[in-house]
Amino acid sequence: MIELKTIEKTYGSGDTATPVLKGISFRIQAGEYVALMGASGTGKSTLMNIVGCLDKPTGGQYQLDGADAGTLDDNALSHLRNQKIGFVFQQFHLLERTTALKNVMLPLIYSEPYPEDAEQRAEKALTAVGLNDRMYYRPGELSGGQQQRVAIARALITNPQIILADEPTGNLDSKSGLEILAIFKRLHRDGHTIIIVTHNEEVAEHADRVIVLKDGKIEQDRRVAQPRDAEKEVDERIGREDAE
Amino acid sequence: MKLSRNLALSCEILAAQKLRTLLSVTGIVVGVGAVVLIVSAGRGAEKKILDRIRDMGTNLIVVNAGQTRIIAGRQRQIATVTTLKADDAEAIARQCPSVALAAPAISKKLATRYESENANTNVVGMTPEGFHVRNIAIASGRSFDPEENRAQRRVAILGPTVVENLFDGADPTGLRIRIGRVPFEVVGVTAPKGMDANGVDQDDLIIVPLGTAMRRLFNVTHIQTIYVQARSAELLNTGEKEIRELLRQRHRLRDKPDDFTIQNQATLVDTERETTRSMTFLISSVAGISLVVGGIGILAVMLISVRERTGEIGLRRAVGARRSDIRTQFLLESGLLAAVGGLVGVLGGVGAALAVSMLGYWETVISWPAALIGFAFSVFVGIVFGIYPAIRAAALEPIEALRAE
Repeated sequence: MIELKTIEKTYGSGDTATPVLKGISFRIQAGEYVALMGASGTGKSTLMNIVGCLDKPTGGQYQLDGADAGTLDDNALSHLRNQKIGFVFQQFHLLERTTALKNVMLPLIYSEPYPEDAEQRAEKALTAVGLNDRMYYRPGELSGGQQQRVAIARALITNPQIILADEPTGNLDSKSGLEILAIFKRLHRDGHTIIIVTHNEEVAEHADRVIVLKDGKIEQDRRVAQPRDAEKEVDERIGREDAE
Repeated sequence: MKLSRNLALSCEILAAQKLRTLLSVTGIVVGVGAVVLIVSAGRGAEKKILDRIRDMGTNLIVVNAGQTRIIAGRQRQIATVTTLKADDAEAIARQCPSVALAAPAISKKLATRYESENANTNVVGMTPEGFHVRNIAIASGRSFDPEENRAQRRVAILGPTVVENLFDGADPTGLRIRIGRVPFEVVGVTAPKGMDANGVDQDDLIIVPLGTAMRRLFNVTHIQTIYVQARSAELLNTGEKEIRELLRQRHRLRDKPDDFTIQNQATLVDTERETTRSMTFLISSVAGISLVVGGIGILAVMLISVRERTGEIGLRRAVGARRSDIRTQFLLESGLLAAVGGLVGVLGGVGAALAVSMLGYWETVISWPAALIGFAFSVFVGIVFGIYPAIRAAALEPIEALRAE
């Protein structure tokens, strides 16, 4: 699915050249749940941008679903992002001036052909993240956790194979964060490939596999023997609250 | 990209910032509104002047003695020329095939008196054909006939202004007035005509038979003007040529310049129309400049918008927008802003023109072509001034744009 071969990324050139990624190679199979970890400045965001086709590496080869991303032009990369990748950002990145429903429908504007059932699909996606009663709210009228769920619904609308989440719980309290992770868990169970970029160990514990970056290189690539199950934890928490 | 879907979203985003949207299009609104109002007012003025020219007579050609020159907006005779005779008018009517009627006339300001009331009035001597050629209608009483003209009878027909001045508006028919020292019988009153194209009151006149005026009042053998009616509007220019040839021949001018001046209604209409049009064009060009200034307003707001919505641009790129999609979106938005401004401007301009008309300040004729051109131009301005911000927006790198928020 995703295959990186000695990926390098250097900003600037000549004397001021700053290498950020220094030969990263890994492979992610379809349906994996991967946490990409590392302290800030280790290049994990740069790596995510490359994986998400938002940025191009300066060296190495990146294959996404059999296509060499390095040889694709800007338009083709835009098309790839639209069809194969769903982004979830730390800052949600919702359009403030329109409704949750319209926000979710946004990627469809750039899909050809525009689906006839765009609105029903958006409603379905919002229902799937538990926001069926908030469809016509604007982002400002929603809590942080709800906004992030709108963003997840938006990432799902084109039914992409890969969900790329950059610190998705970074701006949320632990309860909302757990709810978001529960949604990722379910998406993973449904067959999506999930890649979460985080510096938080606790978040990484939910993934099947953890890749740790240090100084632009892979320091560790391990399987998690017993990943935490956010879905179950949320259920337990609700149970506890009910008991109290 | 589904254009209409994106446009709907852009509308929503722009509508959410009402004040800014309003401010950004003010220049366009004022520019388009001013163009529409000015052109409508100009067309109103043009209509008024053309109506007045038409009031002068139907298919009219005017022959004046001597060279005339426009001084302070009015046609004036430079020197007294005595070569034009009543016979010339007869010859024109007889010999020029394009001519239907020719009416000789002479006029002069004279003191007139009724009992103790005095007034200085333009006294016009002319033949009965003159009424027809000059579109002068009789409101009450009667005109005079060719017999009275030949017999040099002392009969007078008064304009409404004279009736007002000498008789306080009472019916003067049958009463006696004095023109200079000569007594006249009032036989009729003309219908009011208002002002002519130069703003001269056409109702302040007394008409008497031509022979009477020449012999009994002015004591001259020449005339000043021949009013000629051509057989049709198409024959105005031909008629003018025929008259010129005939008069040059009759006056034995050979290589000397004309001792008369000919004007026909068609050229007069053209001249006046050109004058008002160039005036209207001049003023509306100034208004058009404010449209361009309005475009700068849109440029400024769109640049701010691109900066402010960097995150949005990054997001749109992340979810699959191509550079060209972003460019199109911002072009559409600036075009949309300008179109809204243009529409409001057209409505405002038309409304103002109607209001000015209805309140009676100035007759206006709504110019829909000007409204359409104004609207189209504002959209054009919006798109032109939107190009630079749109290029800036499209040039943003997605990751940098995302990071900006």
